[in-house]
Amino acid sequence: MGNTNSSHKISAQDRAILDLKIQRDKLRQYRKRITDLTDRETEIAKECLARDDRKRALLALRRKKYQESLLIKSEKELDQLEQLINQVEFSLVQKDVLFGLQQGTQVLQAINKEMGGIEGVEKLMGETEEARAYQEEISQMLSGNLSNQDEDEVEDELAALQRETQRLQNLPHAPKSKLPERSNEGESQEIQYQGGKAKAQPAIPA
Amino acid sequence: MSNSTPFQFPPTYSFPPFFTPQPNSTTRLSQLQKWSLLIQSWCRHHRTYRLSLIEAIESPLFHNSTLRKRIPLSEARNILDWMAESEEKGGGGRRAEWVDGTNKTIAWVWWRRPEEWAGILADWVENTGQKNVVLTVYELVEGEATMSQEWHGMDVDVMMKSLNVLVKRGKAQVFGSEGQEGVKFF
Repeated sequence: MGNTNSSHKISAQDRAILDLKIQRDKLRQYRKRITDLTDRETEIAKECLARDDRKRALLALRRKKYQESLLIKSEKELDQLEQLINQVEFSLVQKDVLFGLQQGTQVLQAINKEMGGIEGVEKLMGETEEARAYQEEISQMLSGNLSNQDEDEVEDELAALQRETQRLQNLPHAPKSKLPERSNEGESQEIQYQGGKAKAQPAIPA
Repeated sequence: MSNSTPFQFPPTYSFPPFFTPQPNSTTRLSQLQKWSLLIQSWCRHHRTYRLSLIEAIESPLFHNSTLRKRIPLSEARNILDWMAESEEKGGGGRRAEWVDGTNKTIAWVWWRRPEEWAGILADWVENTGQKNVVLTVYELVEGEATMSQEWHGMDVDVMMKSLNVLVKRGKAQVFGSEGQEGVKFF
């Protein structure tokens, strides 16, 4: 318990907020009591009127009026108190935000420092550009070195590959109609097989 | 949520043997379980947290006037004793607890145990974004913000017990003077 709570300390601010909120609660309770009283005074006034006791009824109504004025006053105070509480709580949030901004700025500054300032970045970018140009030069030289014969061979290989793929797409369709008699079936299969072989043959020398 | 609708008794309530301690141990166990459930839902319905047995044995809970059957005080104590026992010891799983120790006249009825309330409170704090906010215990129990919550109007002692569960878990801190406690959730 002690360990987990060490970061959850109750600060003096928390205590001050609690005091404010307790005051607010007390005011609310007070208002509840007064509201209850005014209701009762109305009842008393009604009862007195029923007994034809005008004086007492008037007295009760006057008391009620006075209590209602108290109620209005307390309402204003309650309002002020709640505003103050809200302001305090909002300021606390603002404080946290400010702290967060501060930390963020520090981190950002530290990172910028690590990058070595604008000059360093410019220098680095220049070097990158140089290295890239150098690399491009090398690849150009390499591609220029290929002889015509090599190029032809590459072209041939590409053509062979293309034929290969086409042959795979031109495979014979499976028969859709009803299968013929057994003897016929054997023959047609042989023909198709030969056809496939004939097509495949030109691909081999390439 | 309040007791505007009358309490619906379960069917067993109209079954006369329900009011007599059963000799067969299996039947007895089932009887105790049913009583435990009935007491819990009765207390939940009436938002009762502490049940005074002296009053309860005269109330419809323990006194079925249509059957003219009642649970005497001693039997009511037995039922609550069983409810207070943990499940491992063959009891009702700590659904009750004597408030006044050995006198056994008033009992907490835990239709929600403090740990369960603690979970509900923690969820509410999380969902309403009130972490790191100082709240008074009074506003938790009586405040307008908790009007729609199940614990509104809860017995303050139960609230303190539930909050203390959260304190032990390191999720809250209770401070302030007695009777004017505040709580900060983390």
